[in-house]
Order: sequence, then structure tokens, then C-alpha cells
Amino acid sequence: MIANLPNYIFFFLAFIAIFFAIMVITAKNPIHSCLYLVLTMFAIAANYVLLNAQFLAIVQMIVYAGAIMVLFLFTVMLLNLNADSEPVKSNLMKFAGVIVGGTLLLLFTAALRKSIGDAEPVMNSIPMQIPNHSNVGLIQNLGWVLFKDYVFPFEAISILILSAMIGAVVLGKKEKVQLSTND
Amino acid sequence: MWSISNIANWVNEWLGKNFSAAWVTVFEMVIAGILVISLFAVLGLILVIMERKVSAWMQIRLGPNRVGPKGLLQSAADTVKLLVKEAMTPNGADKFLFNLAPYLAIVVSMLLMAPIAFAKDFMLWDLNIGVLYVSAISSVSVISILMAGWASNNKYSLMGAMRSGAQIVSYELSAGLAILSIVVLTGSLNMNDIIRSQADGWWIFKGHFPVWISFIIFLIAITAETNRAPFDLAEAESELTAGFHTEYSGMKFALFFLAEYVNVFIVCAIGATLFLGGWMPFHIGHWEGFNHIMDFIPSSLWFFGKTFFLIFLIMWFRWTFPRLRIDQLLNLEWKYLLPIGMINLLLVTAMAILKWHF
Amino acid sequence: MNEFITLMKPELLLMAMIFILLISKLGVGFNQSNLMKLIQGMLLINFIAGFFMNGEGQLFDNMYHTSSLIVLEKNILNLGMVLISFLFTDWFKKCDHLAEVFVLMLTALLGMFYMISSGNLLMFYLGLEMATIPVAAAATFNLEKKVSSEAAMKMILSSAFSSGIMLFGISLIYGAMGTLDFSEIPALLNGDSLQVMAFIFLFTAFAFKMSVVPFHLWTADVYEGSPIGITAFLSVISKGAIAFVFVSTLYKVFQPFHEIWYNMIMVLSVMTMLVGNLFALRQQNIKRFLAFSSIAQVGFILIGVSSNSIQGATSVIYFVLVYIFSNLAAFGVAGLVSFFTGKENIDDYKNFYKTNPLLSWIFALALFSLSGIPPTAGFFGKLFLLTSGASNGNYAFLIIAALNMMISLFYYLKVVRAMFMDKNENPILPIQINFATKIALFVCGGGIVLAGFFGFVFDYIQALVK
Repeated sequence: MIANLPNYIFFFLAFIAIFFAIMVITAKNPIHSCLYLVLTMFAIAANYVLLNAQFLAIVQMIVYAGAIMVLFLFTVMLLNLNADSEPVKSNLMKFAGVIVGGTLLLLFTAALRKSIGDAEPVMNSIPMQIPNHSNVGLIQNLGWVLFKDYVFPFEAISILILSAMIGAVVLGKKEKVQLSTND
Repeated sequence: MWSISNIANWVNEWLGKNFSAAWVTVFEMVIAGILVISLFAVLGLILVIMERKVSAWMQIRLGPNRVGPKGLLQSAADTVKLLVKEAMTPNGADKFLFNLAPYLAIVVSMLLMAPIAFAKDFMLWDLNIGVLYVSAISSVSVISILMAGWASNNKYSLMGAMRSGAQIVSYELSAGLAILSIVVLTGSLNMNDIIRSQADGWWIFKGHFPVWISFIIFLIAITAETNRAPFDLAEAESELTAGFHTEYSGMKFALFFLAEYVNVFIVCAIGATLFLGGWMPFHIGHWEGFNHIMDFIPSSLWFFGKTFFLIFLIMWFRWTFPRLRIDQLLNLEWKYLLPIGMINLLLVTAMAILKWHF
Repeated sequence: MNEFITLMKPELLLMAMIFILLISKLGVGFNQSNLMKLIQGMLLINFIAGFFMNGEGQLFDNMYHTSSLIVLEKNILNLGMVLISFLFTDWFKKCDHLAEVFVLMLTALLGMFYMISSGNLLMFYLGLEMATIPVAAAATFNLEKKVSSEAAMKMILSSAFSSGIMLFGISLIYGAMGTLDFSEIPALLNGDSLQVMAFIFLFTAFAFKMSVVPFHLWTADVYEGSPIGITAFLSVISKGAIAFVFVSTLYKVFQPFHEIWYNMIMVLSVMTMLVGNLFALRQQNIKRFLAFSSIAQVGFILIGVSSNSIQGATSVIYFVLVYIFSNLAAFGVAGLVSFFTGKENIDDYKNFYKTNPLLSWIFALALFSLSGIPPTAGFFGKLFLLTSGASNGNYAFLIIAALNMMISLFYYLKVVRAMFMDKNENPILPIQINFATKIALFVCGGGIVLAGFFGFVFDYIQALVK
């Protein structure tokens, strides 16, 4: 029981994350969707803690729950989107969506099943890998990995961010031109 | 010696003698919970009366002076009034979110209590990334404000929430950079390590002017983050009635009010820990005798003294500076504080590498 | 340190250009035409410098690797960039945000370079993102037009979606194998169903970026809405880069999955050619027409990819080189016409020859090359692609490809007929061609003619591929 505890916690958290993720797409009100997404992010952050990666969990919270989701909420609240302004999909589209999604799920299950091989329940065949010594996910080790093994991608990202910022600034500064509606 | 950590150890031993290990954990959790909640209540009472007295003193008037000796029981009377008032929910409001928001705000403040060292060897959770934990959790408080503002279905509330959101998200960066400068000097994110590194002098003395700049930026940023004047645009009463909590009344309003004051206490406690040594007494380098004398003052007294000094500073700001406009507020952050903070962080890093600090 | 500079020279040069452009905005006081000259000069220097002091090797624990083939691919992309900057001089000069457009395009190019030289799936993914996000921002630089924002929106959404699919594939690969290093992955591929699944996801994301049918839906709208320079960049450089990645990186890494590759690519290639051609038949807007024709060309590139041989890889690289010349010439003429007259319909091109003989000859040459009519290089490109595809012995596939060439001939010649034969009362007025544009058009035209006749181009590429 105690040895399997991380497994149970994992399944609980995974259930929460998936449940709220489903709520994100089924909620009628966009604000509720955003808030459910925050909860999903938290469940994922908790999963990181379970893997002993506290720093990652905290960053997930700061970046997603704290910054990105706040901007989401901002935009949605300012635009004042309502449930009834949402375009309604025809039944045929919904039906097609269900079929495609179901097929994908089936394919996935089949692939996973075949790959794992035996008929044992998933829970026993893939035990959770909990790092043994407690400092695997700590910030010092993360720093080492980031600045030694992955220093090149880490530095390369800066140019991507720079260019994204330039693009955003140019798009944001539209005061000189007026949008024409001739098309 | 008589100190809070001794009491805590004694309680722990007594429980250990009489109960099994699992029960000890349960009891200790319950005790910690009760302590946090009562600290909340006490802090709320003290800070409200302190604010009123300080403002009265600044404006050369008497302040509350009817209830209790010198009006000291005024805030207790206010609390009773709020408790018995009806908690209304507006008609067009999103009921669930409207009622959830104040609880979320208070839970976030309570979570923030966890990594704070109130006295020597006395903290709830000795977290190895304590400083980051604080910034992560405090960023969640924006969500409760946005929730409250939107769910009230009132344009003033929404405006207040928007302003508050923009403000908190932007000033969090400066606060983070200021915190990072101390983290760079200490080399650790753990609150206890940060305090121990100040055993031969607080960072504000050891770190020369880069740390002073950090300290000033930190003070400005936390004032903005707690939505206090001169950055109180979120609840600017002359423009927005009361901002995001316009529609709240009774106990739900009290919860927001309480969370706000407790947040002030927490950010000041963090500031005291990072820059003024937390519970660490006033030590000077190698003056063994002097340091020894200072050690006789209990560590909890040091901690609360420094924290309340910072709280007093923040109250002082409130009654000194006029309120900023929203564009001035954002300009101040993005055009001045953030670049200064970044350059300062670079300076601090250079200082830490070259060992220029004492 | 020295090794670092020689190996990463193309990237370092690009970064230097990006920073010079950024500084040029800091009130140094360039006017538009001087800035344009500076940009063209820098790009030209960058292109020429690409031929000297090249090395082979890897850096940063195999995060980055380069070889003479990779250097050649980068040079081809650099050439395309130079041509774009010369061809659309007029549009660029008029653009309010000239420096920013080039910063974004150069960042995208940098991302492509990273992608081509990546030795690790992480680096690879980063390069791919870097190659799309800036272009999506640049696609909306026609700030006064709504279609431009629509194009950017469609592009960023579809690319985010495909990146999501790709990340899922990458995470499955990591889960199944425990490594992202390209040098370790081939040995660990054992045909496990989870690995196949991961591979399919990865491939799907690529199909998205390369606008292979059925993942092409964003292409026509984005091409139509974006400014013409960005459209040319998207259709030539982006596609070329991804084709290079296909042949020089992915194909080597996922070699053990060759069977799966072959079946997938065959189906996709047939669909791409058919849909691209059939839709191109009924387009009236010249930009949409070129968009669908470029989708059809991707179908032909896939034939070369499917062959899994040195000849296949060589013919793909050769075809991309030819494709850069022909497509850029076509886009260059269409861009000039649309910039000076605002006309984008094929019907507007009637009697174009009478007023603008030079432009119509170049356009006709480009269209001949795109359709694969013998004296042009496009013919040799397609010939090599088809012969390399034939090495697998799947002749039904090749017959479909040949039939598609027939269809494409019809619609390409329709445009040529409109230009040379159809009568029109008021044709497009004579266009004043900028000197720089003229040079670029001549280079393109020369490339189309000469690359076919000089066999050593193909031989040189083949020698490098080996």
C-alpha cells in the first residue's frame, strides 16, 4: 500500500488533470474554460512534484497559472465573450469528430498494448519511476544540465524570443495606419 | 533559553511520548492550522488599527479613540459588525465564482505563510525553494481578484480587476529580480540558508549600493503588488467605487480585506528575511562581544520588529504619495524599474563573483 | 574556439546581420533605400562567404553538426534569400518596417539552419519553431489589409497545431527510447508499435509544414494574404529547408522504418500531386495559382524522398535548387505586377507580352521550368526525381506522376497563352523595372536555363551526398 502510494497519487492527479482538461473544452462559458485550464496546470505541476522536480513545478505555476492564464483571462474578460456567440457546429461535424477521435484513441490503445506486450494491467507493468536520491530535480542539478548539456538550445532560444518580441511590437504599434474593410 | 522553538520542541516531545507517530503528525498539523488561523485574525486586527493610528498620526488627528482604551478595540468592533452583516450576492453575478473568490484569496495568503521563518528554527515548512514558492503562490492571487471582478457583473469591479491584474503581473517581474539579487549573493533559494548567510551582517549592510537598489525596487514592487497606495488603482475609491470588491459585503468582504492586510504582512516578512536578516539579530562582522549581547534579544522579536518596520514604511508611502495614473504605473515598471533591476542584477552577479561584498 | 567559428559560420553571420539590423533602428538615420542597399550588400556578402572556410564536425555534444552537404544546402537557402531581397526591392522599400521584416526573415532562416544541422530532436524542434513563428509575424506586415492578418492568424494556428502534434511525437519517441540524440536513435528503432506511432506523428507535423495534402488547407490563404516577399520566402525557402531536412537528416535517422516511409510517402505524394494540380486548374488569382502549383511540386519532391537512395537525395536537392530559381522568377514577376498595378488575376495578364516583353519571357521560362518542359532545368529536375523513384519498380506510381505532369502542363500553358496570344484592349502598362530586380530576374532566368545544361551541378551534389 505504502510502496504503491506514488502510483495512487499519480493516478489521482492524472484523473484530475484529464477531468479538468475535458471540462475546459466542454464548459459553455469561456471564463470557466480558462479557470479549468488553471486547475489542469496545477494538477500537472503537482505531478512534477511527484517526480521530485519541485523547481519545474514552481516554474509551471509561475509561468502558466500566474502569467499566461492571467493574460488569457484578461483577454477573454475584456472581449466579453459569451456562450451564445459561439458558432454552433452541425451534428454531422460532431459525429465525424467523434468517429475520428474514437479511432485515434483505439489506435493509441492498440499501439500501447502491443508495445507493452502482455495482458497485465498497466498499473503493474509500468511502475512509476521515482528518482531515488532527492536532489535529481533540484535547481542546482537543473542548472548544470541547462548550462552544460543543453547550453546551445538554451542560448538559441533567445533569438527566437527576440524575434517574436519584434513581431509583437510591430503588430502592436498600429497607430499610423487604418484598417480598411474593402475586402 | 526561553524561545518559540523550545516550546515547539517541548510540544513535539510531549506528543511523542503519549501518542503514536501518525497521530503526532495529525496533531501537529491541527496545531499548525489553528496557529495560522489565529495569527491571521490577530494580524488583521493589529494591522487595521495600526493603519488607522498611523494615518491619524500622519495627518495630525486622533484616529479611533472611542472603543476600548485609546480606541484599540476599534477593529475588533468592526469585525463583529462585518460578521453580523448580510452577505449579499448580486443578481446577475456568476454565483459560484463570486462566492469562491474570497476563499481563494484567503487560501493563497495562508499558503504563503508556509515558508516564512518566524523565529530561530521555527517555520512551518523548510522548503528548499522557499523564495520561488512565495513568488509562485502569490502570482495565483491575481486569479482570485480577476475572478471576483468578473463574477460581480459590474463594470467598476471588472475595471478594478483588470487594473489589478495588469499591475500584479508586471510588478511581479521587478520583485522577482530584486529577490534574485539576494539569491545570487546567497547561492540558495532556501529561506533558512538566506538567513544564516546574514549571520555576520544583514545583506542591506554587506551588499553596498546594488543591494540598496534592489531593496528600493523590492519595496516599490511589493507596494504595487499588494495594491496599496500610491498604486491602489485597482480599488481607487474616487474612480471605481471600490474596485474589484465593490459588490462584496459582510464576511466575504472581510475575507478580502483580511487577505489584503495579511499579504502586506507576508511581503514585508519576505523583505525582512531577504534584506534585513529575518530573525537574525543585528550582528557586525567580528565584534564577538557585541554580537553576543544582541543574541539576548529573542529572535522572534527581531523578526516581528523588522517586519513591522517595513509595514510602517509602506503605510508611510500611502499617506505621502498621490495616486499614479495607469499609464504612469505601467511606464514606471516597464521603462524604469525593470531595466534598472536587470542591470542591477548583473552588478550583483559581478559583485558575488568578485567577492566585493563583506 | 576556432573550430566553433568555422563550423557555425553560417549561423554566426546570420546573427551578426540580425544585430546590425536591430542597431540600424536605433536612430542611426538610414533612409529606406540606403537600408535596403545595406541589407542587400550584407546578404550578398553572406552568400559569398558561405563558400569559404567550411568545416565538418559536430559541436556541443552532437547538438549541432555540419558537413559539406549541409553547407551546400545552407548556401542554396542563402542564394534564395539574396534573390528575394533583390526581386522585391520595390515592395521592401515601401514597407514601413523594413528592418523588422528582414530581422524576422533572417531569424526564420537561422531556425532553418539550426534545423538542418541539428543532431538532437530538441534542437530540431527548436529550429522548426524558429523557422515558423517569425514568418507568421511577418505575414501580417501588410498592416492595412485584413487578408494579411487573416493569413498570419491561419498560419500561426495551423503551425501551433502541427507543433503540438510534433511535440507529442517527440515525447513518445523519448518515452519509447529514452534518448533524443540522432546518433543513438537508429540503433534503438525496432519496429515497436509505439515507435511507429511516434514516427507517424512526427511525419504528420512535417507534412503540415510542407503543406502536403491533406494538411495543405492553410497554404493558399496564407500565400494569398501575405505580402509578396513573405509569400516567396514561404513557398521557396521554407519548403526547400524542410525538403533538405527530409533527405539529409530525418531519412538517415529513421532509416530502419524505410518500409513505412515508402508507403506513407507514396500515398501522400499521389494525393498531393492530384489535389494540387486539380485545384490549380480553377484558380483565377495568380498568387493562389502559384500556391497550388507549389503544393503540386511538393508531391514531386516526395517522389524523390521515397526512393531511399543516393540518387534520390541528390535529385531532391537538385530539384530544390531549380525550384528556387523558377518559383522565385514566377513570384518576382507576379509581385512586380501586383505591386505596380494591383492586378492579381490571370485574366489581367492577357497581352502582357506586348507591353512587357522581358517580364513575359522570364515568366514563361519560369512556368516552363515549373511544368517540366525539356530545355529548362525543371525538366531535368523532374526527370531525375522520376528516375530515382523508378528504382523501386513501382511503375503505377510513376505513371500517375507522369499524368500529373500532363495536367500541370495544361494550366501552366494557360497562363503563357494568356500572356502571348490572347487579345486585350487595355493590357498592363509597361513596368519600370528596378536595376536590382532586373539582375535578380536575369539570375533566375540564367539559372533555369544553365542549371539544366551543366551536368556538373548534379554531379557535384551527388559527390557531396555520398
